[in-house]
Amino acid sequence: MAAKALILAASLGVLMTVPMLAHHSFGSEYDEKKPLKFENVTVTKLEWTNPHARFYVDVKDANGKVTNWNFELASPNVLKRNGWTKNTLKEGDKVTVIGTAAKDGASLGHAQTVVGPDGKRLFAGSNTADGN
Amino acid sequence: MKKNFVSAAMTVMALAAALLLLQGPADSQAPAGDAKAPAKGGGKGKGKGKARPTGPTPRMADGKPDFSGIWNGGGPIGDIAQGLMPGEEISLTPWSKKIMDTRLTKDDPEANCLPTGVPRIAPYPWRILQTQTHIFYLFEGNIHSFRQIFIDGRPHLKDADPTWYGDSIGTWDGDTLVVDTIAYNDKFWFDFSGHPHSEQLHTIERITRPDLGALDIETQIIDPVAYTKPFKIKFSATLRPGEELMEYICQENQQDAQHLQGPAGPPK
Repeated sequence: MAAKALILAASLGVLMTVPMLAHHSFGSEYDEKKPLKFENVTVTKLEWTNPHARFYVDVKDANGKVTNWNFELASPNVLKRNGWTKNTLKEGDKVTVIGTAAKDGASLGHAQTVVGPDGKRLFAGSNTADGN
Repeated sequence: MKKNFVSAAMTVMALAAALLLLQGPADSQAPAGDAKAPAKGGGKGKGKGKARPTGPTPRMADGKPDFSGIWNGGGPIGDIAQGLMPGEEISLTPWSKKIMDTRLTKDDPEANCLPTGVPRIAPYPWRILQTQTHIFYLFEGNIHSFRQIFIDGRPHLKDADPTWYGDSIGTWDGDTLVVDTIAYNDKFWFDFSGHPHSEQLHTIERITRPDLGALDIETQIIDPVAYTKPFKIKFSATLRPGEELMEYICQENQQDAQHLQGPAGPPK
């Protein structure tokens, strides 16, 4: 856990200064007017794949209905260059996700920040706000 | 289609390995221009967030500039107009205006894990490998492919099939490499904005490495089908000391294109 905390802290410092870029326009996929914040949700799966790493969380609404959300991260290469590993997030972790929802209404989001189980904030974005 | 891309990626890796073997341990040009070169003005770490390294232009054994190294940037991403040189303008023909007006962002080839073509650059590191006869661009991302420029004096291919990177031949004008490329296909976009071109596209790139850390690329776009007059753009790439390319197979888990909404346009 200590190691993970270090990774999270290091990643926060580095990632805040390195533009996160992608192969598509951010503004065409995600709606900045649809901010998301899911607190204390459980990671159900991590995909350490290209063009984006992804993680999935179960989100329970007020009626108890559970929806599995898909969150986009940067590419594994960008994440690795900034201190992540494929074990930074694991299935079963309880996290808080701050991000942006997809324009098309899918249960899909772009994660800007992930607060890990140890309370450290992890900047996770794959794009700058202008997608460039 | 996917099988073809995987095959292409494997070809790139094999090509890179073969070239490194060909250059061998006696290769004297690689260290000067490559990522292991000492960087002044840099910080610690793996090339992230550092100042651009400075130092003399690395040179080949014959005295020509050596462009080898890991680079970032060097071409349009969001809008090619961002690189317009002073006095230049983009003047669309009715043909290309109609195309731009109807393009949807979901159809951007880059978003669909297809190559950028020229002069577009993806926001991922890329490597130049330079020999006396060839220059190879090895792209980490989007896609894991390569571009080749022949600098051995050969002419253009006759009746070349149109391709994503075209047929490129380079000649030296002092310390400037002049790369003339024809035989492009019309499938790639110049940017997120969807600037189009036809198979008549002809590019003339003037590439210089003014010092260790910079690669300046001026590109003249000539395409009478798409643009009423040629125009010139300029972008600069920055050396990434200490970096290495990593595997990036875009087709592996592409989920974005189907969620992209609206017309093509500059990033917002």
